[in-house]
Amino acid sequence: MAERPGSRPRVALFVTCMVDTLYPRVGMAAVDLLERHGADVVFPHEQTCCGQPAFNAGYRADARRMARHFLAVFWPLIDQRRIDAIVAPSGSCVAMVRHFYRILFDEAASDEDRRRALQVGAATYELTEYLVDVLGVEVIDAQVKGKLTYHPCCHLLRELGVDAQPRRLLAGLRGAELVELPGADECCGFGGLFALKNAEISTAMGRRKARNLAASGADLVVMNDVSCMTHLNGILKRQGHRCRAVHIAELLNRVDEHGSADRDPTNAR
Amino acid sequence: MNRPAADARHEILERLRRSLGSRGSVSGRQGDHAVGPAVPMTVTHAEGDRRTLATQFGTKLEQLAGSYEIVDRTAEVPQRLLQRIAEWNSEREPSSTETADSSTLEVLSWAADELPVPGLEEHLRGSGLSLVVPHDLHEAGCRARAASTSVGLTAVDAALASTGSVVLASGPGRSRSASLLPPRHIMLVPMSRIYPTFEAWLRSLRGQARLASLLQQSAQIVFVTGPSRSADIELRLTLGVHGPAAVHAIIFDDDR
Amino acid sequence: MRVDVRAPYKVRVRQALGDEAMRTALDRATEQMSARCAEAMAAVDAPRLRDEARRIREHAIEHLPELLEALERNLTANGCHVHWARDAEEARQTVLNIAHRHRVRQVVKSKSMLTEEIRLNKALERAAIDVVETDLGEYIIQLAGEPPSHIITPIIHKRIEDVSELLQRELGVPPTNDPADICATARRELRREFLRADMGISGCNFAIAETGTICIITNEGNGRMVTSMPRLYVALAGIEMLLWQVASRSATGQDVSVYFTLSSGPRRPGHPDGPDEMHVILLDNGRSRILERGYREALLCIRCGACINVCPVYREIGGHAYGDTAYSGPIGAVITPLLAENVAAAKELPFASSLCAACRDACPVKIDLPRLLLDLRHDVVQRKASPVLERVAVRAYSETVERPGRYRLAARLARWVTRLIAGGKDREISRLPPPLNAWTRTRVFPSFAARSFHEQWRRREHRDMRPPTE
Repeated sequence: MAERPGSRPRVALFVTCMVDTLYPRVGMAAVDLLERHGADVVFPHEQTCCGQPAFNAGYRADARRMARHFLAVFWPLIDQRRIDAIVAPSGSCVAMVRHFYRILFDEAASDEDRRRALQVGAATYELTEYLVDVLGVEVIDAQVKGKLTYHPCCHLLRELGVDAQPRRLLAGLRGAELVELPGADECCGFGGLFALKNAEISTAMGRRKARNLAASGADLVVMNDVSCMTHLNGILKRQGHRCRAVHIAELLNRVDEHGSADRDPTNAR
Repeated sequence: MNRPAADARHEILERLRRSLGSRGSVSGRQGDHAVGPAVPMTVTHAEGDRRTLATQFGTKLEQLAGSYEIVDRTAEVPQRLLQRIAEWNSEREPSSTETADSSTLEVLSWAADELPVPGLEEHLRGSGLSLVVPHDLHEAGCRARAASTSVGLTAVDAALASTGSVVLASGPGRSRSASLLPPRHIMLVPMSRIYPTFEAWLRSLRGQARLASLLQQSAQIVFVTGPSRSADIELRLTLGVHGPAAVHAIIFDDDR
Repeated sequence: MRVDVRAPYKVRVRQALGDEAMRTALDRATEQMSARCAEAMAAVDAPRLRDEARRIREHAIEHLPELLEALERNLTANGCHVHWARDAEEARQTVLNIAHRHRVRQVVKSKSMLTEEIRLNKALERAAIDVVETDLGEYIIQLAGEPPSHIITPIIHKRIEDVSELLQRELGVPPTNDPADICATARRELRREFLRADMGISGCNFAIAETGTICIITNEGNGRMVTSMPRLYVALAGIEMLLWQVASRSATGQDVSVYFTLSSGPRRPGHPDGPDEMHVILLDNGRSRILERGYREALLCIRCGACINVCPVYREIGGHAYGDTAYSGPIGAVITPLLAENVAAAKELPFASSLCAACRDACPVKIDLPRLLLDLRHDVVQRKASPVLERVAVRAYSETVERPGRYRLAARLARWVTRLIAGGKDREISRLPPPLNAWTRTRVFPSFAARSFHEQWRRREHRDMRPPTE
């Protein structure tokens, strides 16, 4: 992490395309959390998408195009030390920038591109990772009523190795009862374009997760990626389940004590 | 299409070499490939004096649904062997096809001089048991006789305490069938042949440069760890599929 | 409803998802397996073991030609006949030649995915040679006339009720729900076969180059029978299944398997049992192609099945949905398209994954399976074999997204359209036009937010009179 003299750490928010268009409140909550816990947040306007959906589907030239734009937006800020880090409320997008950009810029890329990709990747963090590991947050003062469980999104868990951090933040919540989720580590079935190309398998996996959620008795399932959240809520609602999926930023930013009974936490407008 | 056999060998090796960027067709010196595991691959450990190792071996075997007993002196082994066989006889199910007449009970066995217990065969004969030592199991009569026995008896080349395994090398007077065909198998395990781990045993062999020649001479070596089992059906465990269902080790201090 | 392995992919998946019996069987098996594997992994220094296992396998592949030559040399010195086969046909022909020369009529086989891969049984049967599978699971599916659905536990897709019914039908034995009864039946039936077979055929878990040894790992004892009872023994080994030296390992939740059989040659003079003749067939059948195509890591596989056991996709669809292949699950999705240059499989199997990476974490030799799947997907795109509509859509997306202005415009457009479809400001979308109806068939979709984050931030900047963002 680049060091800037004195002052609070300054981070650029990488809001991600799904949060931007579907769940802007999650982005706002992320900003609030960062600011409340000691960071200054800037938002580079020109950002769009990291290119993950194209990369996952095998379209590397297309993904590279999008990745180059991403680097054009964020690399100067890192290189010139105008920010200390890039923070995103998404495990899979961070995994893309931190790990998979290396593959994208391995082939058919200049040394310069490669260098920039590595530099940016090393400075990109997932939200809870940054809060706990860098800002040193231990407890977040938020109150939630009801039974809560946690679903570790696959890229967050297995690519970034981020798991203890969100769990620690959840453990510190007032009022919430944390319950075990059977098969917590199992993929929910989103998988990017997989959700469309293999919709039936994707649905079967999601329904299994929904059954496990019902068995856990949880009112809310918390996670760090809105992609998984959209898929799960899509199934939970269509099947008439009570449980709802909510993004961790929203949950941790909740200062009042109203749980899911009063307001649909997924209505993140 | 008729492609000579030698072509297949050549083509395969050439394709591999082209992809791997290999160093020519002559194989390197044997020493170049000494990459045996730097880290022991066994999943448990064992150490201690011979008594301790014996108990560790037995306990492991028991966890796998085998059984064992430790005997102080070599001279006590024959009696213990008889007792074990008698116990098995009394347990036998009524549907068994073997004769219930224990006075003609035959034990499929390694040759007497492969069993490290002097006088064993005579002792057994005194109780009406005879050792069947097959000479050629491809011969129909020999095969039929071997297949009708209900107990097999062997020694072991080595016993591995960390996993409860034994090493059985085939050879003259050391049929594979004795530890395979009958539904029950008794192993005579001298304490001097118990090693802590697989690696320890391997090391002892290499030290004498013997592994390759052991494999060559014996044509087949098996590591046997407990009774035969299967979990193919819903992953539920069952014992005694094709190999023995009951495996019993008589461990004895061969120094005494 | 059962899965027809020859049907098109979409059909197979649909059949699999509707096969309640199979899915129940998988659930029962998975429950057993997870508990045992967790225990086993907790008992060892797994990271170190995996690194070591990887190192050993990498070394073997890097030196494959030399190891193969050493293997051949040592096997031959031990009295074995060594044959090389470039493809399935050559391998089958070699086995048939040996069988023919010795007038073989009865064969007993221990489990070998390689022999499934080359469809050996059918070739033997066509030559009027009787083949009996002796691995319990393989024996059962042979009776059922089905292919195996898992590389380690071939009947994981069958409940005990299914097996009982099958044995009742084929062998006339009484029904049972006790696995011990089933095993007793198999033991009785197969004991007869072991004792009268002319030839035993096995696969090879590892070939040891240093000593010229074929290693087989079994729990049932059929591996020992097959390699010891008949006069002839033929082992088939993939050219990648080599190690320089003997090493022990564990993968199935046990410390070690019950029988670890090392065969180095035919019986020696004076030996009471063992084969008079031992043959080893070294088979390529696409493995050198895997190297040529740049998928070297896939050759590290030791066929342990760990990846299959943790795969959430396999859990839903089982092994037969992967098609007419010996290999299913994550490793199957990688090697099936590559071994046989299977274009259809290449377009389907690598995409049958959410890339969750559970397989990579489970693999004892740390194969980066998700990476291989990503590479295969990229290959499909490179070869212009992906669906046209998809290519166009992705292109449109990437061109939109690389220009911020276009991106924001497109986002506004999408918002407008979806809100129209939803029929209200904050309503969710229950129906989308194809191809997006793949989502809405089973899931609702949220409508776009009234104001995107970008727009909200702009407002906030103006309101707070913050300096413009950099």
